[in-house]
Amino acid sequence: MSGITIFKNTCKGVEDCGICIFVCPKDVYEPSEEMNELGYVPPRVAHEDACNVCMNCMISCPDMAIVVDKKKDKVKT
Amino acid sequence: MSVIEHPLRKFTRPHVKKTTTCPGCGNGIVAQAILRSIDELGLNMDDFVFVSGIGCSAWIPSPLFAADTLHTTHGRPVAFATGVKLGRPESNVMVASGDGDLTAIGGNHLIHAARRNIDLTVVLVNNGIYGMTGGQAAPTTPRGLTTITSPYGSMEHALNISEMITAAGAPYVARWTTFHPRQLARSIKKGIQKKGFALIEAVSQCPVQFGRASKIGKAVNMLQHFKDNSIRVSKAAEMSEAELQGKIIVGEFADKEKVELSSQWIELSKQMMEEESCHVKS
Amino acid sequence: MSKDNRLPPGTHFMMGNFALAEGAVAAGCNFVAGYPITPASEIVNRLSVLLPPIGGGFLQTEDEISAICSAIGASWSGAKAMTATSGPGISLMQENIGFAAATETPLVIVDVQRMGPSTGVPSVGLAGDVIQVARGSHGDYQIIALSPESPQEMFDMVIRAFNLAETYRVPVFVMPEAFTGHMREQVVIPDPSEIKLTSRKISEPGTDPLSRQDFQDPDVAAMPVFGHGFKSHVTSSCHDAHGMRNLSDPTTMHNFITKPIEKILKHRDDIVETTADYNEGDIVLMAYGSVSRSAKAAATIARKEGLNVGTLSLKTLWPLADREMAAAAQKASRVIVLENNTGQLFPYIKAETAEFCPVDFMGPKILGQIHDPAQVLSFIKEKVS
Repeated sequence: MSGITIFKNTCKGVEDCGICIFVCPKDVYEPSEEMNELGYVPPRVAHEDACNVCMNCMISCPDMAIVVDKKKDKVKT
Repeated sequence: MSVIEHPLRKFTRPHVKKTTTCPGCGNGIVAQAILRSIDELGLNMDDFVFVSGIGCSAWIPSPLFAADTLHTTHGRPVAFATGVKLGRPESNVMVASGDGDLTAIGGNHLIHAARRNIDLTVVLVNNGIYGMTGGQAAPTTPRGLTTITSPYGSMEHALNISEMITAAGAPYVARWTTFHPRQLARSIKKGIQKKGFALIEAVSQCPVQFGRASKIGKAVNMLQHFKDNSIRVSKAAEMSEAELQGKIIVGEFADKEKVELSSQWIELSKQMMEEESCHVKS
Repeated sequence: MSKDNRLPPGTHFMMGNFALAEGAVAAGCNFVAGYPITPASEIVNRLSVLLPPIGGGFLQTEDEISAICSAIGASWSGAKAMTATSGPGISLMQENIGFAAATETPLVIVDVQRMGPSTGVPSVGLAGDVIQVARGSHGDYQIIALSPESPQEMFDMVIRAFNLAETYRVPVFVMPEAFTGHMREQVVIPDPSEIKLTSRKISEPGTDPLSRQDFQDPDVAAMPVFGHGFKSHVTSSCHDAHGMRNLSDPTTMHNFITKPIEKILKHRDDIVETTADYNEGDIVLMAYGSVSRSAKAAATIARKEGLNVGTLSLKTLWPLADREMAAAAQKASRVIVLENNTGQLFPYIKAETAEFCPVDFMGPKILGQIHDPAQVLSFIKEKVS
């Protein structure tokens, strides 16, 4: 079960936002192949195992469209 | 399996599912920082009254925040907030508004609220431009920038808000950018806890107006710009004016104790109601 | 001086502005914000002394805009709030007078009128703001305005103003002129037990905005004051009855304007006050404020000379005493409107009365001086011959 939840229809897309991709130190996210109900392209979790639960994406998302479960398993680097 | 919800949605109005900000706008980062600070302090939204003016940033609390909200006329939230606080001193009163609203039309109110040290927390979102009305020059627009009202390049010098309000005597002043959301939340917490006037200036990206006018570009480019050009207060103190050109000085500019206005009124009234008679001071 | 600095019940001799300050406190006023301005300063000066002993808030602001904004803010925190100024201050406050009307905020605004336009003559009275208080903010809205003619009425009417503001959730103006504000006369302060006070209805606890009607009830919605967990949303943008901004639905836009107006006009019989002293066939002198005194004096002299002259004094300027004016005109042989200005209310009075009888306007011989009753009498005689 994923420790990262993306609220796709709240997201304003990777093209003009994409802040989650920018602030992630572990390249967890990539643009997805779909559009949400407003025509924005949300990100998708491409490398879940790389996530170190730093919470940057959750804290920096202007639309509160990402939730990272703090108890999610971290990869020890 | 329970439905996952963003933990801060407990603080937002259930019927407000989305915000009206542009994709990548920094307002949402500031909004989240405010809600996080309230959560971390263990406070309730009902302990607060949020006051905002007119402009994109004024939509941070209105209608998103599930709390008493006063959305005022342009430039006036600090004046309204002063009355809200004096009318009910036990409320935590927070102003969230933009640089045009609070330092252009509202500049006088901001200065005097800082001077009289009324217990308010002012989160001033500084995006260097008038975003909502189409990208006009603001008091914070860097000199030389071409905007829709400075088509030949702005000839005015940009206001250093944090410096001005520190000089006005505010006991807590801090500046961060939206690239520093954790520090921003920490300063907002300190501002809420400070018994006195607190200003937290949040330098924020307006990719649609400022990003285009400055040619810095999209939100992520603007965040990179904030990252590259932020200098801590202590480091800036060792740099020359020339070296500081175009830099954003971040950190705390003031953090002191100073007797606050509403508490003095409460004290005076208490004394007078206990006394035998109430002679005015001659 | 009593423990709380207020003047005790009884008969006093005092200045109008002073009486108004005492009246405000008697009315339960517990927040005043103001900026110094001649000829109103004495009101705020006096209130700075009276408020702290009763736990009230006082703020001398940096300008008049801040004064009205902080008074509105305090009202939303639950205070009975007031500000006092003169014509130039009212001009500065206009945008936020509109805010108070649109958000249905109880508020008392005292306007001790002075000669304009612009800086004009700060210490000379002129009824210069009669239209400004009603139509000076942009858009369509309805306020209440009371017109005292004496220091006693300044005391009594400010109490009425607070009661009306609390009852109808609306800005209420009290509009003496500089003469009345600065004149000294007998004022009887009643015992507090004899003063009837009204306070706003407050919303039901434990409710949220989407389940309550916070605005736009023609019979006055309960007010969701701050600090009670109501999660009120108060905005001067066009909003629905829950306070939520709505800039796209035509019906919401229509109600945003019309419902608060209906709220006042529906209850006009409770609000409008006039003093009538006329008989069938009289020449009726219509006046308000200090000019009422000239009108009454002129009528007294005229009657002694065998002329049939009566008066209609307007104790409220807004909402307009349209029915009372029409009723007088239907009985009158002529109506003469006396105002200490170039005829601000005159067109409105004429609209209500001209179909019934001839209507004239008479200003003072010199603006800024109230009408000499002898000159009023000459004017009357000229008209009847």
